[in-house]
Amino acid sequence: MTERLQTYDAIVVGSGISGGWAVKELTERGLRTLVLEAGGPIDPTKDFAEHVQPYEMKFRGWGDREAMAREQPVQRECYACDEVGRKFFVNDIENPYTNPDDAPFKWFRGRQVGGRSIMWGRQVYRWSDLDFTANARDGHGIDWPIRYADIAPWYSHVERFIGVTGAPEGLAQLPDGEFLPPMEMTVVEREAREKILRHFGGERVLTIGRAAILTQNHNGRAACHYCGPCERGCVTHSYFNSLGSTLPAAEATGKLTLRPHSVVAEVLLNKDTGRARGVRVIDAQTREEIEFNARIIFLCASTIESVRLLLNSTSSQHPNGLANSSGTVGQYVMDHHYGSGASGVMPGHLDKRTVGRRPNGIYLARFRNVSTPHPEFVRGYGMQGGSGRSGWNRGGSLPGYGAQFKESLIDELGPWTINIGGWGETLPVAANHIALDPTVKDAWGVPAARISVKWGDNERAMQKDIMASGVETLEAAGAINVRPYGSIQPPGHCIHEMGGARMGHNARDSVLNSWNQAWDVPNLFITDGACMTSSACQNPSITYMALTARAVARAVELLDRREL
Amino acid sequence: MHRRDLIRSAAAAAALAVLPRSAFAADILWQRVAERGPVSSHSKESSLVRALADTIIPRTDTVGALDVNVPAFIDVMVNEHYTGQDRDAFNAGLIAIDALAVRVGGDAFAALNAERRALVMSALEQPTNRTDPAARTYARLKGLVVHGYFTSEAVQQQVLGVDVIPGTFSGDAPLRTRSRPGGSDD
Repeated sequence: MTERLQTYDAIVVGSGISGGWAVKELTERGLRTLVLEAGGPIDPTKDFAEHVQPYEMKFRGWGDREAMAREQPVQRECYACDEVGRKFFVNDIENPYTNPDDAPFKWFRGRQVGGRSIMWGRQVYRWSDLDFTANARDGHGIDWPIRYADIAPWYSHVERFIGVTGAPEGLAQLPDGEFLPPMEMTVVEREAREKILRHFGGERVLTIGRAAILTQNHNGRAACHYCGPCERGCVTHSYFNSLGSTLPAAEATGKLTLRPHSVVAEVLLNKDTGRARGVRVIDAQTREEIEFNARIIFLCASTIESVRLLLNSTSSQHPNGLANSSGTVGQYVMDHHYGSGASGVMPGHLDKRTVGRRPNGIYLARFRNVSTPHPEFVRGYGMQGGSGRSGWNRGGSLPGYGAQFKESLIDELGPWTINIGGWGETLPVAANHIALDPTVKDAWGVPAARISVKWGDNERAMQKDIMASGVETLEAAGAINVRPYGSIQPPGHCIHEMGGARMGHNARDSVLNSWNQAWDVPNLFITDGACMTSSACQNPSITYMALTARAVARAVELLDRREL
Repeated sequence: MHRRDLIRSAAAAAALAVLPRSAFAADILWQRVAERGPVSSHSKESSLVRALADTIIPRTDTVGALDVNVPAFIDVMVNEHYTGQDRDAFNAGLIAIDALAVRVGGDAFAALNAERRALVMSALEQPTNRTDPAARTYARLKGLVVHGYFTSEAVQQQVLGVDVIPGTFSGDAPLRTRSRPGGSDD
């Protein structure tokens, strides 16, 4: 089977948000590190397409429906998988997964150097102790083995490097970070903020989105030029992705080896020591099988891929998958539930408009179950949204035709509209799990994931409240014609999948310790979303980054002490 | 308005939903139009699609839909983007629109003068039944005309003056007027 053998100090599986951080921190500490990426290389100068204009696209931005129906029947449901952005999403035929008929699951993903950090939503919010103590307080799931104080310095470490725009608000449930200047709120967002603050006595705070986008030059990267579609890439690297930030930092150390087209099929065990010795890789292009060895291994392949990799790594010592003595590998999978909210019209300000395309929205910090228990559900939600005036694109539904119709679309704008939608916390439930499909394999012969996740009563109750509170909030903001909308999206759709290899206090009921280190395999670290013990309601990526940097520091400390 | 036009106008309001084709003396004319063979976009840039596009977004002091080749975009969308079912429905609706034109205006839409086109447009813009084949195709076609026109290079650059790289964001900027082209950013 093994045709070659190569040895490194560390192996990182995955080159996305978490993998990029792992490799940066490892190489900067002097470790010769191999990063294995299942997808191909990306050349920003050729592949990034944020400045492609609609008239340069055959379908003017509406996408190649036939090709997407054929090759990306799942991926096409993601907003960012559009006519030019689809190249950053996987081919669903080559990369299958299954789910029970009564548990639809959407798995949106990219396989390329940079992973999903190329198309991610860029929203970054620190968690607080409201989140890290949530499981302990209400008994759902197990207690996190860390608290805010453990991760706070690492949030700072990450923010200082990636650059985060935001406005400090002094909220205990949404700690401030080390912010670059905030982006500007629109005239109606400012009005809404003030009115909401007054109406709810400061309990509801509408702030500008906190995003990993530069509002000033930072660490050799240029400030945002407000062209708009970040999800298609950015030639100036003005938003954070691993391709333009962490991977170059790692490369600068001279310690990085990056191997694209490397499908990791299995983590290999040294049966004598009980430690991971390396990984078995299938070259995605040649199908050649190769073994790479290292002293420590970081799984950063993304939540579902890392869990799938553990389950595919069986041995006599780990018959149910690697690091699975607790039996919890694959369990307690979460996503954020979303799809409900409210929208309305903000009267006035008709002499004002926006200039530039702000790649960021507004954020209503969590207000449920912060100080007063809600009678119908535990945990909470944040609300994300935006405002603007419609231009010519309202023309399809605007009555009229002819010269006057045309001129009105050129010269006039619709009224200011505003919307906010809820991103809600999901409870960790054992039945929401990832297994291996007994028959389906991917294009490289690796057994596919079978994902079984359903929303529960708590999530549904919260979605209902999101609609009601959305209406209440926008009416308080001065909006008129306020209408709720609600269509809870299936799990996975929010692309915040988490859990499956959770952190905990002991090996009996968790996979990882407080340092993201596998209880059963001490030189194995898992620092992507799989490690999450609860989901909170904040966008999770910055927490993965901070946990990754923290875990690397620990791993290298253990290596230096010869404890690994 | 002449009495004949009033009758046509009334017919226009009702034609989409209720009136059978045989109720009109123009029945034979309609047959002739239908036989002209496919009024669909299978025949590249059919005269009906061209005429509707030109009516919805005509040339004024700025370019019109035909100047920026909107019918070619519609052709791509209908024949390479729509599902077979949507394409069939769209094409059936085109035939229904010309049938309406014959009933209301006395000839195929493309052959009508502006005054008579207005009668047909009035029926299409305010149909009594929005699920009627003609009404549905018109709604889709109007959306395609608007999108095709405003996403064209000439309109984006010369009419809207879209700034691809604004370099700044303001949420409180003064509204522009025609002296500086562009109402919306996208």
